[in-house]
This record gives sequence, C-alpha cells and structure tokens, in this order.
Amino acid sequence: MKAQLFEIKHVTRYTYAQPVTVGQHLLRVTPRSVARQHLVDQQLELKPAAACRTFKDYFGNTVHFATIETVHEVLEILAASRVAVAPAPWPDACETPPWEMVRSLCRTDRSSTVLEASEFVFPSPLVEPGSDYADYARASFAPGQPILEAVSRLCHSIHTDFVFDPAATTVATPLADVLRQRRGVCQDFAHLALAGLRSLGLPSRYVSGYLETVAPPGCEKLVGADASHAWIAFFCPGLGWIDVDPTNDCLPSMRHVTLAWGRDYSDVSPVRGVLLGGGEHRVQVAVDVAPLGPTVISTG
Amino acid sequence: MIDPAPRAEYELSVQSLSNPFQTGSGNPAWQWPEPAGTSCAGFDEIYSSGGDVRDHWIGLFHALSGLGVEEMSARAEDIRRLLDEHGVSCPVFAEGEWREQPWELDLMPFVLPAAEWAALGRGLEQRARLLNSILGDLHSSQRLVRDGLIPAPLVFANPAYLRACQAITVAGGNYLQLYAADLVRAADGVWRVLTDRTQVPTGIGFALENRSVLQRVLPEALRAVQPRSLDRSLRLWRDAVSRLAVRASDNPVIAVFTPGARNEAYFEHAYLARRLGFTLAEGGDLTVRHGRVCIKTLERLRPVDVLLRRTRDFMSDPLELRADSLLGVPGLVEAVRAGHVAVTNCLGSGLVEGPAFLPFLHSICRHLFREDLLLDSVPSWWCGTSREFREAERRRLDLGFRPAFAPGLPPDHPAHSGSDATLDGVPRDIDARSHEYVSQERVHGSKTVVWEGRNSGMKPVCLRAFVVFDGHDYHAVPGGLARVFAEGEPIPPLLPLAGRCQDVWVLNGGAPEFAEILSAPAPTPLIEHASSDLPSRAAENLFWLGRYTERLEQRLRIVRCGLGRVADESGSVASPRLSSFATLLIESKVFPVKAAGPGMVLQRELLRLLYGVGRNGGVRPLLENIHQAAFGVRDRLSSDTWRILNRLIQDARPRPGRLPLVHSLEVLNRLILDLAALSGMETENMTRGFGWRFLDVGRRIERASGLCHLLGAVLRCPPGLAGILDAVLEIADSTMTYRRRHFSDPQLQGVIELLARETSNPRSIAFQLHALAEHAAFFPDAANPVGAAQLRLRIAEVARRSVAPGTGEGVSTDDYRAFASIATERLQSLAVELAGISDLLTHVYHSHVVPRFS
Repeated sequence: MKAQLFEIKHVTRYTYAQPVTVGQHLLRVTPRSVARQHLVDQQLELKPAAACRTFKDYFGNTVHFATIETVHEVLEILAASRVAVAPAPWPDACETPPWEMVRSLCRTDRSSTVLEASEFVFPSPLVEPGSDYADYARASFAPGQPILEAVSRLCHSIHTDFVFDPAATTVATPLADVLRQRRGVCQDFAHLALAGLRSLGLPSRYVSGYLETVAPPGCEKLVGADASHAWIAFFCPGLGWIDVDPTNDCLPSMRHVTLAWGRDYSDVSPVRGVLLGGGEHRVQVAVDVAPLGPTVISTG
Repeated sequence: MIDPAPRAEYELSVQSLSNPFQTGSGNPAWQWPEPAGTSCAGFDEIYSSGGDVRDHWIGLFHALSGLGVEEMSARAEDIRRLLDEHGVSCPVFAEGEWREQPWELDLMPFVLPAAEWAALGRGLEQRARLLNSILGDLHSSQRLVRDGLIPAPLVFANPAYLRACQAITVAGGNYLQLYAADLVRAADGVWRVLTDRTQVPTGIGFALENRSVLQRVLPEALRAVQPRSLDRSLRLWRDAVSRLAVRASDNPVIAVFTPGARNEAYFEHAYLARRLGFTLAEGGDLTVRHGRVCIKTLERLRPVDVLLRRTRDFMSDPLELRADSLLGVPGLVEAVRAGHVAVTNCLGSGLVEGPAFLPFLHSICRHLFREDLLLDSVPSWWCGTSREFREAERRRLDLGFRPAFAPGLPPDHPAHSGSDATLDGVPRDIDARSHEYVSQERVHGSKTVVWEGRNSGMKPVCLRAFVVFDGHDYHAVPGGLARVFAEGEPIPPLLPLAGRCQDVWVLNGGAPEFAEILSAPAPTPLIEHASSDLPSRAAENLFWLGRYTERLEQRLRIVRCGLGRVADESGSVASPRLSSFATLLIESKVFPVKAAGPGMVLQRELLRLLYGVGRNGGVRPLLENIHQAAFGVRDRLSSDTWRILNRLIQDARPRPGRLPLVHSLEVLNRLILDLAALSGMETENMTRGFGWRFLDVGRRIERASGLCHLLGAVLRCPPGLAGILDAVLEIADSTMTYRRRHFSDPQLQGVIELLARETSNPRSIAFQLHALAEHAAFFPDAANPVGAAQLRLRIAEVARRSVAPGTGEGVSTDDYRAFASIATERLQSLAVELAGISDLLTHVYHSHVVPRFS
C-alpha cells in the first residue's frame, strides 16, 4: 500500500514552581498502528530520566507508565515517531446503511464487533448525552438518510455554527457551555459530535492525533496543526469505524495521523500525572509533523 | 479482645439471682412481648402463627426470664458503657458538621435455628461464588454479555466498571475474599437479598465487637444458648488474606487500607487491624516506589504484600481512577497490574453490587453452575428493557425505584441527581434514563424482640450476613449484624451502618463446638508492632497527642489555680490576689483581652476557658484535638488507654444544675487525675520504641514552652504582685518542693531556679531539655539524614542552654532588673527555638506533601 512517511516530534515541557520529589505519569504519546497507518519507530525520552513500563490500555492504546524519583523543577517529554500513513478509502456515502438501521443493530446484535462498538454509545466522563445534543444533531439526520451522509452534515453544521476560539474554553469547560457559547477548540467540537451521535444511539469514539504542520502546495493549512488534534470516528456496520473531523469539516485522509482513541479526552489525555511537591506549573506543548517522502506499508 | 476478667462480676450476679431471697419486689420480672397474632403484618420471628414461641427462642427465653427489669436495664446500661469505653462509633456527617454517632447494640440478640442457617448459609455461599464468577467473566472474555445473559448497559454504562482495572492481576484468582448480603425476611418467611456488597463489605468488625460485648454482659444466656463462634471464620479469612502475599515470606506485610477517620467504618478498620495483626494505613501512609506499594515508616519505606482495602474502587488510585481522590495511592493500579501487590477485595469488584444485576442472577446461575439460585433477591426489575419497565410501571404502587448502579457510585455522579436514592417516588428522568433505574418491591422486614428501656417490644429487622473465602471455597460466617428499624420507618435499600443493631446468634444444632482461639498478636501494652516500623503518620499523631495532653494539663492547672483563689476570696470585691492573678494570665496570653477586674470577671473568664466552645486554647478545643490525634492511632492504643481518653472527654462535660464554682473544681480535679492516669500508662505500660519517644518528645516540648511563657509572664509583671509566685508554683506543681527547700515565702530567684534550672525537678525547663536530648540520640535517620542530624544538633545545643543567669555570670542576684531582663530574653529565645525544633521535627519525620495532579 502506497503511503507517506511522516516524522512527528511531540515535546511537552512542564515547569514547576517548586521542586518535584516524585512524579508518576501516564503517557499516551505513541501513535497506534491501524489498517492505514503503521508506526515505523519511536524514540521516547524523558528529562530527567524515568523508569518506564509499557502496557496497552483498555482501548488498545500504548501507555508508558513513567516514574521519576529524582528531584526536578522541569520535566521534558520528547516523543519522536516515524509513521507511514496511507490514504483512507473514502466510502461512498450512498452505500452506507440508514442511520436508524445502525442504531437498532447496535441495540440487538451481540456479535463481538458490534458489541465492542456499542460500548461507545454510553455516557462517558466528559460526554454525557442528553436531549439538547440530540436536538442539535437531529437537524442533520433525516429519516432513512445514509449514516455517512448524516454524520458529514452534522460535522458541517458544527463547522458552520461554531467559532474556533482557543480563548473560549479550557480542558475543564463543560460541554453544555460549549453548546451554549458556540465557541471552542477541536476537543470541544469532537465531544459535541460524540454527544450528538450517542444521544441518537449511534456509537462513536474520540480520536486524538496530529495534523501535517505545513500544508502541501496548493492546500490550505488545517486548523489544529502545531499541536495535538482531535476528531471522531463513528461505527458503520460492514465498514467498521469511519473517521470524521468536525473542526475542519472533512474526512481525514493522508494529513491526519492517529495517536490514540477512547470514549472521550479523559481516556486518551497524552500526559496525566501525580506529583509530590511541584506547586503551580506551566506547560508548553510543541508538535511538528514533517513529511519525509513516499513509502510503502506492507500488508499482511 | 475478649477479656475474661470482667466476667467475674456477672458470675456473682448469676449466683445471686438463683438465690430466692434476692428476687424480691425491688426487681420485678419483665414481660416478653405479646404474640401479635394475625393483626401483625409481616413475619413474626418470635411467635408461630399459633401464638407459640418458636423453638429456637426458648433457650434464650429461659436464660433471660430470671433477670428482672432492674437487672436487664442495668445490663443494657453496661452495653452502652462498654461500647463507650471501647470508643465504638460511626462518624456521621449531618447538618454541615461531623459528629460521632455512638454504636447502638441492643440487649436482645437475634436468634437463628441451625437448620435455617444451614440453608441460608448454603445460599449465601452460592451467591458469593456466583458473583465472583460473574466478576471474573466481565473482567475478561465477557461471554455472559455475548451470550445475552447480561445486558450490555449493565457493564458498559455502569460507572463501577473500571476500564483501568480490566484484565489486571487478580489476587489469588478470586475477586471476592469477603462478601456481604443485606437480607430481609418477607411475610412468607423466606429470606431474600436486598443488596449485595462486593467491594467493601462493612460490618464484620462491628459484629465481632458486638459478640465480645455480649460475652461480658449476657454470659449466662451465651452459656445456655451456645451460639456459634465467629472466630473460625475470622481465622479462615485472615489466613486466606495472608496467603495472597506476592512474595514468598513467612511474615508478609499486610495493611488495612482505610480512607481515614472520617469513614463511617473507621472503628472497624482499626479493630480488624488490631485483631488480625495487620497494619492500619491511610492513603497518606502509602506510596508507590519502584513499582511497589510501601508504608512510610519513620525509618524506611517498607514494601507491602497485601492490601486489605477498605476504600472504594474509584477512590483507590488518583492517577488511574478518580483523579480528585486524595484518599488513594497514586500508582496503585499499576503496582497491581505489575503483580507487585495483592489487593483484596480485588479492584473492580464493585461492578456487580449494582441492583441492576439482581434480576439476572437466576439465569446466570443456571447458565454457569447448572444450579438453581438458592438464595433469591427481593423481586426487582431493571428498567432498561421496555418489557421490564412496563411491568414496573404497571405495578408502580407496590414498587419503588433505585439507581441501577448506585452502590459504589461517587455521590456527585449524575445518576444521583434528579432522583433520590430512596425507594420513594418515580424518578423524573425515568423515561430518558430508564437503564439507570431498577424497580424493586418494597420490603418491611420481619419483627423481632428488642429491649426498650424498661421492657421488650417488637420491631422490624434486617440482616447483614458475611461470607469469607478460605482459599478453596466460600464459608458463610455463622453470625452477623441484625439492623433494627423503628416501627413504620421505611427500610432503605442500602442498610446504614449506624443505628440500632443486634448480635446474630446462630444455634449449634446440638454438636458442641470447640472454641477456636484466634491467635492474636502478643498482648498489647500501649504500643504494639515493631516500633522500628512505626508509620510516619502514627508518629505524628503520637507527637501531637503528647503536646495536646500536656497543653491541656497546663490549662487545667491554671484554671484550677484561678478558680481556687476565687473560691477562697469570695465576697471580697477587689482582692489584690485576684487582680494580680488576672495580670499574670494576661501577661502569659492565656486571656486574650483585658480581663482584669473584680473576682466575678475572673471567674467568668476562667469558666469560659473551661467550657467555652470555640475559645482558642480553651479546654474544649483541646479535647477535640486530643480525640482527633488519638483516633488517628487508635489501632495502637490499648483498651485501657482508650478507656482513660474516653473518660477524660466524659468528665469534661458540664452537669447542669450544679453550682458552677464548686462543680467546676470537681471537674478540674477529675480531669487532672485522668491525665495523671494517662501519663502513668505511658510511663509504665509503653514499650520504649519510637512511638513512646515521639509521644514524650511532644510532651517535653510542650511543657518546656509552657514554662517559658509562664515564667516570662512573671518577669513581665510588676515586681511584688501579691501571690503571683505562689500561683506559679501551684500551676507548675512545685509548691511542695519549694517549701521543702526554702521554708519561706517564695522569692523570684528561688522560683526561677527551681522551675528553670533544677535538673532533678520533673516540672523544670532543664529537666525537659535533658529528656529531649536523650530522645534525640535515638532519632532515626529516616529518608532525611541531613535533617535528622540537624535536628539532633539543635536539640543538643538547646539542652546546654541555661535560662537563669548563674552565679558565675556576674549578675548579682540582688539586682532584680538585670536578672529579670537577662532571664526574659533567654526565655523568649528558648521558646522560639523550641517552636523551631517542633517544626523541624515535623518536616524531617512527618511531612506529608499532598500529591498534586498535572
């Protein structure tokens, strides 16, 4: 399969007001290998050095459990990954099943694929479905409409109705405020789409990842580059999970690199830690995604 | 903890009862409640439908019928007193404040016949086995969901489903080492389960305590009825828990992991730690280093093999579970995942507690075990499927609604909002969130006999029964808690721990049971356990216990001295002795405001100090601090010590209707004697380990700084104030010593000499400093050897100081002003240095930096 090779540098830097004596961190900074994406290699470095154990979490994301037991005032996490990304096959919207069919299938079918997917229809810590979200989403879901068409329309209306405004929200802003203010960032828009889809009974999950930093000639630079990005995927029986990016109103293809997925941001936050000491802290994140040229993903 | 000695008093009383001359009209017989007959709704535990006493109650009837009303009332009072002495209580948060709700044990036990228990026990054991298997399945292949036996939302929409704990190492292969069920007997006489308790089944410690109290209070009834002992079950459980240890070791380190003294079952946590010989640890005592869970002790980090956790699932690890839980141990889940520590009951075991599972247990049991479910649940319907929901709707009058996943939910979870956790009313959001509700038939409880002050009555009752895993199979514990409700009081779906209860007596069925003695850890003086492994938090609590008890003694002596003077000089409006005493207290900052005035003002201020509620440095806040510090180490305090502490608090209660002055002097004398008893326990009964040292260091620092302030105040007072030096000697308990030496009225230099420099006077500053220096030599290096060395150095330096200028220092003892100014300055600087040493000590040994999250 023909693909593009990317080099991703993801640097997270914490500066603490007071020395930290012990720090324990869960890191989710290793891109997944999925059908159209292959992690070629990764170098993960922590300064100061940490004892690391690696495991796969509930959703199959790679997690590094890092423990730092030297006193430090600055923590730097450098993850350098090379990832080959092949173009996603764009399904024909008309060939996807009507959305109501997906909903009823997920309620009754107990085959493992559908059962696993239907887990993503229930409330999660940051996405609590409700009638407000159902009402907002329903405008895009005409009766009998193919699901991909309907979801694309939902993404389009989020893109149109909402203003991308990094100053409007924080990680802690409740989703209800985002809906009211009609402002937010990629994470909020992903949560909003999830709330809408789940309120209608459609399984959908949160995807975190990266965007190509510099747009290829002739293309516009995507919103959310230079940092971690977020979009969603919804379940379509027969086709599996299909990614959609409400922030950029598009179907992700060669320029989106998948990092991790879960029910919402809380399942995939790149760095989560508990410290002894530290006081206040400042965090700086830098992401650079550079194309290294064409490559091939061997299949099978 | 069964102390055989006090039983002797009842041996006597039993004999005296068989003496016909003793049962006169002064002790009339009490009446068993009348059979309610057909008018009684619900099942009657005592009388059969024919009005006869059921066979299994007859033994108890005979044993108790000889006791008259007076004797029964006295025994009921003994129960209250014993529970009080043992400090059995539940912290309850109500109306914005915490208070200790005393444990209420009824004089009447609850009797179950052998055959009935055998069937019930088999049902409980099967249910434990079943829930354990369900937990195993849901945390691995989830075949039960795939096969359609458990609807997917019960797992995936269940907040108790901890994805971080999916597929973690299960200690010993079993999720449940301890299981409890809340049982209720319906009118048809059948016991049914109201709620399963799988993550932190509480109550077994209280049940053990109940039994040991009744063993003292109703020895003749116990001998006659011979209920089955709980000790064997406790030993099975303890041994199985010990075998979970991840390292091969004869002496595994096992900690009872408690959320802390604010938890309603904290008494039980401390009790179990003591009874089973485990260490009591809060989240702050534990830390994960190099992937291992360790207890922070004064000297080192000691790896833990098994955590008998009494914290809820989601509160156990702020890193991977609920982030805002400060009660947990960051990294615990990872330590379990890596197989470095065994946690029991296993993390995630709260999943099947939700009542949503109740309707499905029948079919799961048949599917997994090819057996019928022996012990049924109270009829329940999960509202998540439309058919069940309609059934619930149709029968709404007989039913109540409960949150489907409620037990184990954080209290602020959305499932709690919009509807109540009780069975009353239809939740407003039932249509939108039907899968979050279960409808359940209302229960009323069977009626049993209870003791009602002067007589007996009938009250509704529910049971909490326990099942332990012995390493091979489950064993129902022959006993438990019977929770008594008031007539007409609705029975909540989650039985509260606090409230009135009875001990459950399971009959033996004829075969005599040999008492098994649980080999408890060696008899306890004040402090048990290897002192070298004293947890830092325990050391801190002991240090403050030492400081607060000493501070209390100083306050009491000041108040007693003052009130004594007021009593002596009553009538004299402006006694010079009283006004100079007031000046002394103002100078030593005991009185915050100018309280100089006639005797009545002084008296008022002193009584405020004694009884005032919010007064800083007053007796009451000090007692609260003492209680708190003692509570934090209650697993390390002997029952005698605990008894003294409880008496201290009771003795401090004002008795209304008494003359304030006379009564207060009585109170003060009692309290000072209580404190003397406490320090006697310390001196004579405590192992000389770190625990004792930290307690004594606290006392020495506090006494030395108290003397610095007192003597400083004397020096600041105008010279020659009437009776001040007498007062100081009295407060410092050195009047006799001074008189023996000087045969004259006290002089300033002599008083300073005796209270500051005299090393043989245990009430002098020099004595305290020498004691501190001796302790300092034994201080461990801990994790902070630099700090420890610095601390030792500072204590050694301060011990060399002399407060009063000596003869060699060129200050004439006749030059009062020169003498006073040098002594004042030295006292001040010493007080500052002592405060610094106390801070440094806290920093080196006790500092618990609260974890933060990024």
